[in-house]
Amino acid sequence: RERRRGGAERRERRGHAAPGGLPGPAAPAGAELLRWQWREVQAPCLVAAWILVASLAKIVFHLSRKVTSVVPESCLLILLGLGLGGIVLAVAKKAEYQLEPNMFFLFLLPPIVLDSGYFMPSRLFFDNIGAILTYAVVGTLWNSFATGTALWGLHRAGLMDPGVEAGLMDFLLFGSLISAVDPVAVLAVFEEVHVNETLFIIVFGESLLNDAVTVVLYKVFNSFVELGPAHIHAADYVKGVASFFLVSLGGTAVGLLFAFLLALITRFTKRVRIIEPLFVFLLAYVAYLAAEMVSLSAILAVTFCGICCKKYVEANISQKSRTTVKYTMKTLASSSETIIFMFLGISAVDTSKWTWDTALVLGTLFFILLFRAVGVVLQTYVLNRFRLIPLDRIDQVVMSYGGLRGAVAFALVILLDREKVKAKDYFVATTIVVVFFTVIVQGLTIKPLVTWLKVKRSDHHKPTLNEELHEHAFDHILAAVEDIVGHHGYHYWRDKWEQFDKKYLSQLLMRKSAYRLRDEIWDVYYKLNIRDAISFVDQGGHVHSAAKLALPSMPSRTSMSESSVTNLLRESGSGACLDLQVIDTVRSRRDKEDAAMHHVLRGSLYKPRRRYKASYSRHFISPDKQERQDKEIFRQNMKRRLETFKSTKHNVCSSKSKARLKEKGRKKASPSQAPHQTKPLHLPAAPVLVMVSSEEEESDSSETEKEDDEGIVFVARATDEVLQGKTTPELCKLPLTVPPSASPGSLDVCPSPCIIPPSPTLAEKELPWKGDQADLAVYVSSETTKIVPVDMQKAWNQSISSLESIASPPGIESGPQHRRFACPVLEEQPQSASQAMPEQSSCFQFPSHLSKSGRSQSDSSPDGPEQQELQPLMATEEQGRVPPSAEPRWLMFNRAGHL
Amino acid sequence: LGRAQRGPPGSPPVTSLLSLAVTSEQIEHLHRRFKQLSQDQLTIRKENFDSIPDLEFNPIRGKIVHAFFDKRNLRQESDGLAEEINFEDFLTIMSYFRPIEMNMDEEQLDRFRKEKLKFLFHMYDSDHDGKITLQEYRNVKLGPPCPIPHPQAWPEPLPLQVVEELLSGNPHLEKESARSIADGAMMEAASICVGQMGPDQVYEGITFEDFLKMWQGIDIETKMHVRFLNVDTIAHCY
Repeated sequence: RERRRGGAERRERRGHAAPGGLPGPAAPAGAELLRWQWREVQAPCLVAAWILVASLAKIVFHLSRKVTSVVPESCLLILLGLGLGGIVLAVAKKAEYQLEPNMFFLFLLPPIVLDSGYFMPSRLFFDNIGAILTYAVVGTLWNSFATGTALWGLHRAGLMDPGVEAGLMDFLLFGSLISAVDPVAVLAVFEEVHVNETLFIIVFGESLLNDAVTVVLYKVFNSFVELGPAHIHAADYVKGVASFFLVSLGGTAVGLLFAFLLALITRFTKRVRIIEPLFVFLLAYVAYLAAEMVSLSAILAVTFCGICCKKYVEANISQKSRTTVKYTMKTLASSSETIIFMFLGISAVDTSKWTWDTALVLGTLFFILLFRAVGVVLQTYVLNRFRLIPLDRIDQVVMSYGGLRGAVAFALVILLDREKVKAKDYFVATTIVVVFFTVIVQGLTIKPLVTWLKVKRSDHHKPTLNEELHEHAFDHILAAVEDIVGHHGYHYWRDKWEQFDKKYLSQLLMRKSAYRLRDEIWDVYYKLNIRDAISFVDQGGHVHSAAKLALPSMPSRTSMSESSVTNLLRESGSGACLDLQVIDTVRSRRDKEDAAMHHVLRGSLYKPRRRYKASYSRHFISPDKQERQDKEIFRQNMKRRLETFKSTKHNVCSSKSKARLKEKGRKKASPSQAPHQTKPLHLPAAPVLVMVSSEEEESDSSETEKEDDEGIVFVARATDEVLQGKTTPELCKLPLTVPPSASPGSLDVCPSPCIIPPSPTLAEKELPWKGDQADLAVYVSSETTKIVPVDMQKAWNQSISSLESIASPPGIESGPQHRRFACPVLEEQPQSASQAMPEQSSCFQFPSHLSKSGRSQSDSSPDGPEQQELQPLMATEEQGRVPPSAEPRWLMFNRAGHL
Repeated sequence: LGRAQRGPPGSPPVTSLLSLAVTSEQIEHLHRRFKQLSQDQLTIRKENFDSIPDLEFNPIRGKIVHAFFDKRNLRQESDGLAEEINFEDFLTIMSYFRPIEMNMDEEQLDRFRKEKLKFLFHMYDSDHDGKITLQEYRNVKLGPPCPIPHPQAWPEPLPLQVVEELLSGNPHLEKESARSIADGAMMEAASICVGQMGPDQVYEGITFEDFLKMWQGIDIETKMHVRFLNVDTIAHCY
């Protein structure tokens, strides 16, 4: 704090010193090299400086968690403001910066109100609208009149300083401005005290909606005071009442109108995504100004604009715009709030506006607390007779105690005309004290109070899919029961509204595409999936890196693949023995890791990434490749998740023994994969791995950017099976038999069809265990066309050229290559010599592909010679074994191998 | 049957209403409504519910009406579906929707909560086997439910199609999505209720205990009620 203050001071000094040393008047005529232009930039510069100070102060506050957990930020800011104000006063000898009512109402308040309206939990708000309205209207009326009258009584009793020249009207005016609960203060304090939602929404909703009452009362009494008590006629009272309805309903109407406009506009912003967020802010602000212009309740206008437009706007604008709106709104609101509290502190220093009167101050404090409590208790008593969930005593205490006053009251009292309201200085002093008292004392104590009273806190768990489903069903049930009993209650009307909304409003205000996806259940489903994916990343990252990927210096993928390839080739090539068994026995742990890694990368990496043109456009943002990738990973994840679930569901124990048999060897070989098995159902091994890879791939991409652009194809598909098959032996079948459950997701999420690996990978999934399947032949044959040419030298070259031409779609090459990793799968199968051939040939393709796809020299060079070295070898093998009619036989062999 | 009919609005059957906690006015109101629905018959049949126009747009109306005839909800020992219900049964069903009372202690509250949940559970558990299976969660066999199912078109062993019915309001959401949502929900339920599951373990369905677990986060006792049943809670004088 001290340091901060010092910095602020310096900045302040600079600010003040500048005008002094302004445009060098002594500057001689002639050309100037530089000109001091403080005057031109003064105003915005000061604004920026203040915001900077406030924001830096926030950082400092939050350096210590301890302080902020006890003291609300608003208190700290007020104290900071007091300190800064004192410094300014000391330096400039006069109070320089004040919270100007105009600035407050036109610039500082709207963002906060918009933020609170836009992010208001609308369902909760409308569920409690009755209570909120009661407290806002009746409560505020009661508070104003009771406080005003009581103070007047105090005055009449002669307890106040005779200097307080005020009549009943003045006191009522004062009462009206001092009694309104302030949304800014309430929000600032209650956001840190996590009381349950109902309680929060009631207090907060009240603070927003009572604005109408406050504005009306303030204006009416102000005009009464200005008229003088002698000139008030009965008609004026009637006008006052009428104006209340006009102001509140008018404000709401303005808000609704602009919400409608806003929703409608965002429906057509498809081509100008970049200015979508602007519309939200602009129209909400225009709504505020429009309401203010015709002296309707601007706060109501913005609040309702925010509440009502949100559903449609959120559906219409893009995901990025949504994020932008959210963050911009939060930033604006938060900085406004910061500035407001700081300036409250600064303004309080200005003693020239103060006139202290102990009786008035203490009396006001006492009365507002008392009447607030009385009002809450009385209203709650009445409300509880109608409310379905009664508010208990503890709630009432918190509600009474949470009636914080804030900057609105201060701004209103500053707006008073000293000529007309003689006691303005007294009122200002009292207001400042009241605001400070409520924000600081009550703000500080409300947290311990809430803890002490054991107020039901809000649990911040996100809704589960089931909860959302049930709640959804629930609404319908309740509506139906109301229908059946023939009672037109709340649920009935809500149901009606929803039907109307669905039929007309949404059709009108939402894009067709957005409307389609607009369903809460779907939303939750989608969000849950995202959350799951994230948790996969987290958990998978731990498991994996701890278990097996704790490589001190992560070798790049290049070197890994290279090493595995060379390993393999060295072992197999030396003895000129292409027996599968040999290859398998020499498979080191490292190889397995590599295989797993390859699988991982293959499974999660998406399409070869193209280098995006480095384009700059002010109007469009090119689609983020990261985003696309995320989508794809997400989709894959979901697919697997559901597959695993299905397989767990359907597959009781049919292929268990078989699977176990197969897995036995592998389990031994890779014990590190065991942890995956013990995972709960929804965390199957595959997704874990998938997500790991995404992380890793990030790190990789940072290492070698080039690789990303090329789109390396990782094709260790079979290991995928190894891993997945372990948890769910039957899984391998599912991709084919069950239509990918994630497909709806993919349809919705990503319009461009970039379905993951096409048929070859599916075929691979198929291969190890599903040799008996009828549709296998298709896959096998499609593969053999690629494998067969390999056996001849000539054909080998052909295949290379053909591979080259199809280098981009990864799935195609993946077929043959995976077989190297499929080895373990096959090891326990009856072996035929020829079976080794596809395995081997696939190995050869790998390097060839690598070198062909333009990889770096480092990895193609070691492969190159060996590849050549083995080619003749293979050719001879082939020629020795395979008669001219290679293709049909291959097919057969493959089949045999899969039995 | 006779009791319920005999009881003029002012003197409801004592036995059943002890637990219902509704006032005489409410019963009067309900009785009027009952007569209106039943067209002055002694009992209500399923068809009578078709006359309620507002119900038509409810995506899960079938299930709700079904629940009225579910014997498990009628506090009868037997199982199965009732053909028709009398006024007393009607009241019994209604009593599931009574609001929480101020002076309830913990134990009562717990029972109260369980009762309500039981009602919901029965709604989902269409085949009365004490488990909500995936099949009941989503229904694969039937074609896409039309937005407004024709009243006569109810299949007799009413399949639940919870998710599909819920989502049927949105014509653009495909069946496939509904299914995958149901799958997701089921999976979530499994993970909540069973937690660690072996790879070969099969989650057969949500039992009532699991159902209770799933509802832990929601204060059902503060939600599942209909307002008119709360006009006054001087119920215990009966």
